[in-house]
Amino acid sequence: MRAFATRLIDFTELNADKIAAQWVRDVKTNIKTYSYHDAPAEKIMRQAIEFYHSFRQMFFDDSPYEQAEEIFEKFADDNYQNGIPLHETMYAMILMRRHIWLYAEFQSIVISETEHRKAIESLSRTILMFDYIMYVIARKYWKIMKLELQEQSGRSTQ
Amino acid sequence: MQSYGTKIIDLAETNAKDIARQWAADVRKHKRTPTYHNIPEDEVIDQAIIFYMHFRQMFYTDKPYEAAKSFSVKYAEDRYKEKIPLQEALYALILIRRHLWLYAEFQATFITTLEQRQATESLNRTILMFDYVCYQVTERYQELMKAEVDSRLGIIKTLTMDHTEKGEKSFYKTGIIIVALIIAGALTYYYHAMLGTATLFTHLFYIPIILSAMWWRRGGVYISVFLALMLLLSHAIFLEGVPFTDDVVRSFMFVVIGAVMDRLMDGIRKVEGIYKQLTT
Repeated sequence: MRAFATRLIDFTELNADKIAAQWVRDVKTNIKTYSYHDAPAEKIMRQAIEFYHSFRQMFFDDSPYEQAEEIFEKFADDNYQNGIPLHETMYAMILMRRHIWLYAEFQSIVISETEHRKAIESLSRTILMFDYIMYVIARKYWKIMKLELQEQSGRSTQ
Repeated sequence: MQSYGTKIIDLAETNAKDIARQWAADVRKHKRTPTYHNIPEDEVIDQAIIFYMHFRQMFYTDKPYEAAKSFSVKYAEDRYKEKIPLQEALYALILIRRHLWLYAEFQATFITTLEQRQATESLNRTILMFDYVCYQVTERYQELMKAEVDSRLGIIKTLTMDHTEKGEKSFYKTGIIIVALIIAGALTYYYHAMLGTATLFTHLFYIPIILSAMWWRRGGVYISVFLALMLLLSHAIFLEGVPFTDDVVRSFMFVVIGAVMDRLMDGIRKVEGIYKQLTT
């Protein structure tokens, strides 16, 4: 798997700007990511590029969950502070994943039959990472909200 | 589309109970789903069985988003009622998907090159459905949270006139406060100037104080200070020789109540804001 995955990762990193630009176009028009429609394009573009660059780190790490925690707790925090609802953040992440594969398919990086098999393995690995990401983001949103409520009730009873 | 998914769907339907049992064993000890640990297996297992039996319907449709919704909404509502945190409900779903593919791998369902291709297509379709399910479950959870907060804050929301139109709301609020202040002024005048007594019926003064605290930020303090000054001024003009003590205590209490109400309303607004941010 490693050789194909490396190619996919290299490809994603090399084309991070282009993939991110397509993602930005998508989130800014998709009905499921409404809060992104008025968000400054450069800001969310930076977010996507950062994500595509950190993809290698997560992909090849022996503990992808810990990596997901490190990277995406901050991502969730930023989105929460920017007022993006959780379901939209989740969908934006789903679109980030889809755009990697859409771009890879469009550029035909999977050609031979053997590559097809390896592509499935890479796809499975990508999905595993995204499963962790979804969990980490949902948990972080929940934590921030709980913390804010606790702080608030603490202040009210002081 | 019908052909490539047949294998995985047949597998899910025929072995729904076995796969669900393996999933239940996993979810009941997994560190990312701690709330499930104390739920009896019989209660947990149905969640996965329902999904696996629903799988064909979601798989073979031209409108997968709508088909997924019928499952997602029920799943979210049930888990919310069981007080399962959202991230755990989502992770349990992820495990439902994983266990289906683990079972398929274990049963060596996809061996030949053609079958491998079918597996890729089936996997892509499954992931698409799960993307929708995750989005819909999250969205529904937030709707339920918002509804719960709304119902808990029901009386306050009615009093704050959150359901009326903005222009109309502002008109009514200002009107009510002006009328209440006129009544308070008239009462003060009647007691101080006509009856010549400091024994004033001040309970009614709390109505504009409380309402203005609910309607405007710092409204409670401004109105209470206004009423306190009015009371003290009226006392100075009409009640010469009568000690100020009672009216000073009353005035002080107006301001205290106004400030406390402002503080409480700040808290409620903040809670509402947090939920709104998550749900709108």
